[in-house]
Amino acid sequence: MRYAQIVIGPAGSGKSTYCTEMQRHGENTRRTIHIVNLDPAAEAFDYNPSIDIRDLIHVDDAMEDEEMHYGPNGALVFCMEFLLDNMSWLEDQLGEDDDDYFIFDCPGQIELFTHLNIMRRLVDALQLCNFRLCAVFLLDSHFMLNSASFISASMAALSAITCLEVTFISVLSKIDLLSKNSKKQLERYLEPDVTDLCANNSLVLSNSKWNEKHQKLTETIGRVLEDFSLIKFVPLNIRDEESLAHILLMVDNCIQFGEDKDVKVAEFDEPDEDEGDDGYGEEV
Amino acid sequence: MATAEVPVDEAVIDQPLLERHKKPVCLIVLGMAGSGKTTFVQQLTSRLHAKNKPPYVINLDPACKEVPYPVNIDIRDTVNYKEVMKQYSLGPNGGIVTSLNLFATKFDQLITLVAKKSADTDIAIFDTPGQIEVFTWSASGTIITETLAALFPTVVVYVIDTVRSVSPVTFMSNMLYACSILYKLRLPFIIVMNKIDVVKHDFALEWMKDFDVFEKAVNGDESYHANLSRSLSMALDEFYQDITTVGFSAVTGEGFEAFLKAVDAAVVEYETDYRPEHDRLQKLQAEERTKEQNRQKQKFKSDFEKDNERQIPSSQVSDIFLRHRAVGGESSSDEEGQEGNPEDDDDEEDGAGYKSFHKYLEEQKKKQQSKPNKVNKPSSS
Repeated sequence: MRYAQIVIGPAGSGKSTYCTEMQRHGENTRRTIHIVNLDPAAEAFDYNPSIDIRDLIHVDDAMEDEEMHYGPNGALVFCMEFLLDNMSWLEDQLGEDDDDYFIFDCPGQIELFTHLNIMRRLVDALQLCNFRLCAVFLLDSHFMLNSASFISASMAALSAITCLEVTFISVLSKIDLLSKNSKKQLERYLEPDVTDLCANNSLVLSNSKWNEKHQKLTETIGRVLEDFSLIKFVPLNIRDEESLAHILLMVDNCIQFGEDKDVKVAEFDEPDEDEGDDGYGEEV
Repeated sequence: MATAEVPVDEAVIDQPLLERHKKPVCLIVLGMAGSGKTTFVQQLTSRLHAKNKPPYVINLDPACKEVPYPVNIDIRDTVNYKEVMKQYSLGPNGGIVTSLNLFATKFDQLITLVAKKSADTDIAIFDTPGQIEVFTWSASGTIITETLAALFPTVVVYVIDTVRSVSPVTFMSNMLYACSILYKLRLPFIIVMNKIDVVKHDFALEWMKDFDVFEKAVNGDESYHANLSRSLSMALDEFYQDITTVGFSAVTGEGFEAFLKAVDAAVVEYETDYRPEHDRLQKLQAEERTKEQNRQKQKFKSDFEKDNERQIPSSQVSDIFLRHRAVGGESSSDEEGQEGNPEDDDDEEDGAGYKSFHKYLEEQKKKQQSKPNKVNKPSSS
């Protein structure tokens, strides 16, 4: 059994930073985390990808090709489809070792999930390769400061995740950049009492008539969210080692990483300052 | 980055904006990449031209190769997306976001231009970037929609690819995303089922009307969490009732009249629901501002009076007093000699001023000493 996180979220939500920090955190806790870059349009990132889709195809290849003349969007779709057609390449790169831990850094475009089923096909293919997957949906916490945004964010997360059909956790990134006041506001949505948030008439403060009109919808959504405890946002402070450890642990729980091993909890108690000396390799 | 200055007419800004009903309706066209936003805008534009009501068209997609319709304002004239990518070493996605951000800083000028056109056009159409989340989950998108909504009747048009929505899961996920946008932007909302020339949107209408039918369709699409989907489709049932849906073919122009009707209804909704609320909020904000101003004024006034009473804050006096103690001079004449000298050299008048100031200080000191004062405590020990 192999394990992987699939990191998704809109552009600018901090996916690559999350991957970088997770890798560094892994090094600190003596745990090898391989990162797979799946964004053919990525320009620069700080982590060491074990596998890079750009070795296979780069978005410029598609954009600059004389015959195709794609825009950035079409080029991305082309690249992803090319990847799916060449799954054997990815399989080769992923190797066959058991107990590997991967993080897939995905492109942000929501279209890849809802419209085109590309991510879904990719997930299916990975599951065939004996992968246990957990999706990590990242969202900038600046967009979560009122109830309407909370519902909006939940819906966006749901929209992406219903297509993938894997376990998932939703993470609010960039908590460290919030002002003190906003942090306080945010707390309400971290442990949301959904019925309270939705039934409350002050929900959409800026637009009460609008709120009245959509009251019933809001309530229904609230009920669904609560009944299924679908969405619970976990704050992530990228500078805080504990916060990283917490999320990693949550993901591990979701995919039952290391259940057949000795308990790994101790790792999180004494983060080692040493650089990981496990010879984290370029090739896998 | 190559920027082309948009001419601004200062006088227009000062003018009170034109009568409300004379303002053009702003349609913000959103949709996933490949849903046919641009073709939709093209068809709409040509139809409106045919009706002799040419719309004002604004292209907000910095990355598109060419625009197939006559465009009045083009973001590509202002921001060169390729240059932005190079200059800030960004990927295509980051380039689009940054270009839009840069453009948002000039948005006031665009507003002026649109306002100027108020007399001639009924409709202003905004074509957004292909990647939907660039607009919905970015600061500039929010700024653009909110600015528009504050000044013009604004309607969000969400374009859906009907052909792809034949799969219930895609349909549901599309609807969930639409719902997300509805809550994000909170404006009148029209869903346009595009491409009905290929696949009729009747199936979708039926799904929206009768959720048992949808249920069956979802169940047919195996491997789906049945329970969750059931509840979600129930929630969406409410959503459908709140939302106007129009079938449209961007190729043949079918559904054009229906769309115009939907826009009319949405404008009424804007006027009755959004506008008064916005006005109320603005008034509230203005009140809040004047209140705050008054408070500040009061505070300043009282502070000023207090200052006048004391002339010199006691802390300053005590500072000076303590410093002299530290120097070791017991008598006041001593300190005058020490510190007065440099001033005297500079200017006679200054020196005189200094002396009178000193006199005042002495008085203050005495006053302080006469009271059982905290300041004196350390010196007595």
